[in-house]
Amino acid sequence: MRTIIMFTALKEKVRQRVFYISAIIGIFILMLFSTGGATVSIGGVAVTDYRMLAPILLTLINALSCALAVIIGLGTIPNEYERRTSHLIWIRGVSQAEYHSYLTAANILSAMLSELILYAAVLIYLLMKNYGTDLWRILPAYLISSLCVCIISLLTGWLSVLLPRYAAGTVSAFVMIAGILYSVLDLVKNILGGFSGKMLGVLLYIIPDLNGIQAQAGNFLTGGDVDIHILLKGLFFAYIFLVLLLLSRKKEA
Amino acid sequence: MLECINLTKFYKKKCVVNNLNFYVHPGEVFALLGSNGAGKTTTIKMILGLVKPTGGEIRLDTKLKIGYSPDTPYFQPFLTGRETLEYYAAVQGLSKEERKEEISRLLSTVGLEADRTKVRHYSKGMLQRLAVAQSLLGDPDMLILDEPTAGLDTLGRMEILGLISRLKEAGKTIILNSHILNDVEQLCDRGIVMKEGVTVGTWDKSEYAGKNLQEIFMEAVGGNIG
Repeated sequence: MRTIIMFTALKEKVRQRVFYISAIIGIFILMLFSTGGATVSIGGVAVTDYRMLAPILLTLINALSCALAVIIGLGTIPNEYERRTSHLIWIRGVSQAEYHSYLTAANILSAMLSELILYAAVLIYLLMKNYGTDLWRILPAYLISSLCVCIISLLTGWLSVLLPRYAAGTVSAFVMIAGILYSVLDLVKNILGGFSGKMLGVLLYIIPDLNGIQAQAGNFLTGGDVDIHILLKGLFFAYIFLVLLLLSRKKEA
Repeated sequence: MLECINLTKFYKKKCVVNNLNFYVHPGEVFALLGSNGAGKTTTIKMILGLVKPTGGEIRLDTKLKIGYSPDTPYFQPFLTGRETLEYYAAVQGLSKEERKEEISRLLSTVGLEADRTKVRHYSKGMLQRLAVAQSLLGDPDMLILDEPTAGLDTLGRMEILGLISRLKEAGKTIILNSHILNDVEQLCDRGIVMKEGVTVGTWDKSEYAGKNLQEIFMEAVGGNIG
């Protein structure tokens, strides 16, 4: 019955109009891609093929969803402490770990719902371009992609317990951006070499490969091969952040 | 029912509660008196387990159910009074049937049964009444009410005092934390006066019959009525 904590927090997110923002962004993306308002060129050649455009579209959606996950996750737990609503929860025998878990679960669901709204734009795009046979691929691609928002939500939730809001936001945003640019940073690491390359290598070791996870969602959507190891590594990061969240406590509740 | 023995709390090097001793009998209304910053709320938080004592002991029956109404009640603003009670009742683990029956009864007790507005539109008095209602969920043996009349206008204050009076008549054990002496005099049986975390006086209605509580309080805290 304590799941009511999660559903109430989710209800608050709905009322904060996070989903409307997602819907507006989704419509905007759809308009750009379907009307030719956005032209993507690779090597000077305009990309019009769906199999090349879809991963770009998904990368954009994933980046937006991760950013929304940071925004959603930053306020939830600190707000409860600032409002002191937590006191009435503790005296009813709910542990901090349990409470933080429910609130973070609400963040994950909110971020996933926002991403689902953005994925609806992809679905409409596929329908408009007559790729009806690939429609079923949307759901698994969405689930693969949502691993990124889970990781970011758990990270933000954990940091929001430990750090002041702005510090938690800065670190989460840094990890998110580095994760999305993972393949670029990996390339830079190889170009740099030496001490700087090694340092960048260490950084990449502790940052989740959001780009890799997203690429697998894109591969699945376009019928390509999915590298399960990247997904397992992503799940491992989610697990680590969950454990850290459960172990972290606010000093004076 | 409850006994605090040499209860002490330090925040870093600052002592906010120092060797506090008191006990509360079943069925009585006990007052924690003192000015702002006397250590009353910290004492309550230690009893509730929200703050860990630095020293001393709290003897409390483990089966004792405690209800708590905070000094500045804040609830989810987008919920109605009924939904708020639903929320806390579910967290507390009450079954659906228990919740349905108890919430209607409690809303009626605090005079909010007909109300359908969101908590964000509640007046201070309504918030306090809702806070008392949530503290009564699960029929607790002991109630801890932290400044239940603070910041209320005359009408709101009278409503809350009436409500506490009815709870007293119903046999509830109540710890009332207040700095409003008239409220304490009207409702409480016994109490202690705190100043800077220390007990500076005790008060018993039966012993001090006819004597003004304001005088006792001023003697204890070393103030001057003028």
